[in-house]
Amino acid sequence: MVNGLRGHKAVIAKLGFDAHWRGVIIIANALRDAGMEVVYLGHASAEDIASAVVQEDAILLGLSTLSGNHLGECPSVMEQLRVVGADDVVVVLGGTVPAADVPELEADGVAAVFPTGSSVPDLLVLIEELVVEQDAARRKAGSL
Amino acid sequence: MSSPEVSPESTASGLELPAYGRPDDVGPTAASERPGSFPFTRGIHEGMYRNRPWTMRQLAGFGRATDTNARYRALLAAGATGVNGVFDYPSLRAFDSDHPLARSDVGRGGVAVDVRDDFDDLFAEIPLDKVSVSLVSSQPIGAVAHLAMFVQAAQRRGIPKAALSGTSQNDFLMETAITIAPQALPPVGSFQLECDLIEYAITELPRWNPVSISGYNYREAGADAVLESALTLTHAQAVTHELIRRGHAPEAFLSRISFFLNAHSDFFEEIAKFRAARRAWAKWVRDDLGVAHEPSQRFRFHVQTSGVSNTARHAHVNIARSMTQGLSAVLGGTQSLHINGFDEAVSIPSEHAAMTALRSQYVLLHETGVAKSADPLGGSYLVEHLTDVMEERVQDVVAQIDAMGGVVPATERGWVHAELSRLSFEAQKAIDDEEQLIVGVNTMNDGADVPVEIFRLPTDTLAKQSARLAEVRSRRDTQAAASAVEEVGQAAVAKVNVMPAVERAVEQDATLGELGAVLRTSLGLWDFPLW
Repeated sequence: MVNGLRGHKAVIAKLGFDAHWRGVIIIANALRDAGMEVVYLGHASAEDIASAVVQEDAILLGLSTLSGNHLGECPSVMEQLRVVGADDVVVVLGGTVPAADVPELEADGVAAVFPTGSSVPDLLVLIEELVVEQDAARRKAGSL
Repeated sequence: MSSPEVSPESTASGLELPAYGRPDDVGPTAASERPGSFPFTRGIHEGMYRNRPWTMRQLAGFGRATDTNARYRALLAAGATGVNGVFDYPSLRAFDSDHPLARSDVGRGGVAVDVRDDFDDLFAEIPLDKVSVSLVSSQPIGAVAHLAMFVQAAQRRGIPKAALSGTSQNDFLMETAITIAPQALPPVGSFQLECDLIEYAITELPRWNPVSISGYNYREAGADAVLESALTLTHAQAVTHELIRRGHAPEAFLSRISFFLNAHSDFFEEIAKFRAARRAWAKWVRDDLGVAHEPSQRFRFHVQTSGVSNTARHAHVNIARSMTQGLSAVLGGTQSLHINGFDEAVSIPSEHAAMTALRSQYVLLHETGVAKSADPLGGSYLVEHLTDVMEERVQDVVAQIDAMGGVVPATERGWVHAELSRLSFEAQKAIDDEEQLIVGVNTMNDGADVPVEIFRLPTDTLAKQSARLAEVRSRRDTQAAASAVEEVGQAAVAKVNVMPAVERAVEQDATLGELGAVLRTSLGLWDFPLW
């Protein structure tokens, strides 16, 4: 049972024009069941995603795409997060993402990639780990 | 139903399964039913595949029209008997390729089209008077323009409207409940366009199926077999009522409505679903609508195997999955079939995966012998029983949707979205809790994976489409194009059939994005009640 996500906030968005919503809504439900406050943006531009992260003071940003547009859209979001100074948010990406593309995404700051077929409980455990770690880092930075 | 010592089991959609079928599980009418006769449970033709095999229609679309045209021709040369063309997301949603939101999706998941010249390229050298073409223009906002562009591309080659045979998917639920996307039309507006296209085709295109009522995509989004069937039936009923309201005799259009169902993994449940859908539709047309004309009662459908059931890990196992799903479609009496490529969960199909899928269809046809007798499972205690139970369960959900005023209001109030979300979440939980075992996901997932080769898309699609758009915009009569587009908007607002105005705008080289924009302005936008 995942407890470390309780009370934290997540922003979730679809990238580009990708239309498949099944996966992203399942994850949104799972995060809410784990106690997170979930803001679901639907489709949003990189600018809107970054400003929502700031506005909501989210610790987690979940991106979803199954159309294969991730190498085009993800870097724009990461860049925009840096522009607005919100690049300490934990970014995870789910969808149809070939393993060969993962290193490039991780090098750009994506913390974890969940391809189709990922186990939801396993994915929650990993997200919890990332969020708890980031929360500790934020607290430490705040107390300095 | 099941013997006390045997633990109860059920199908994927929760239909109770007996430990074994028994003669008294079979309803009283089964023995007298024949393929080709009302209520068509056993098939819409007496001879079925002896007379004519199902159409082998492998879905294809990526990159530019020229890229996809090469794939169509390769498939046809290898034995495909129909074209099944899918468009990229911006094209489905009627945005131009050079729209800022579109850039990363141009040529992905389908072919990029912007102007009618793209349809010239898309169907070059394909004999449109002989091969039927399914345009997977899933959403009415794109479908109206795609069809006008397709018709004009054919006419420019000297092929008249009367010779064109094929299908537009044209499904308002795709726009409003299934494929969430920026700037969707409201259900009423999207349904209005859907019916405009149908009305146009029944008078102008005598061999065209102007709608493919889709159960497939609802199933992929989370529906079980029962909801898939109920949405399909209630949607077709809504179309029927609207066309009658617009003054058309049911006999003039019912035989032109086609359907599109999913072949999911629960083998006997799927066969029962296909049989029950045929029977439920025939009964509704004859008994509720009072139409005795038999062609109007025939539920004709295309099947695609389930993409969502395919796994990225141990992807070659998808060949076995898709094959058994395809077999259920053939045993269930489909008119047309797409079998998924084994790389479905990884990328759009490579040519190797697409050809393997096509050849699998020929294994079904030539090697297994299953196509030689119609409805080979008719009379099976279990399958007849499941067919009856499926029909009952489906009718319960149909009644629930009817009580909301039909499928359009049910969509507006968010009921469809809520049901799909609920069922997809339950299905995922069943996998996570290992109640539903999936090979490569929660069982049999150890051992080294043999990764499939990723099909990489052409990288020049956006640049070339942008150049074509710029070229077309600069050579056309800007004023004439703009005023023709304006007339499309006026027709939509006045609730006059938009198709003649769309045709005129396409003649003036209006772009898909311009037509989409004017329809969005005239019919308004809608926020999905998804979350």
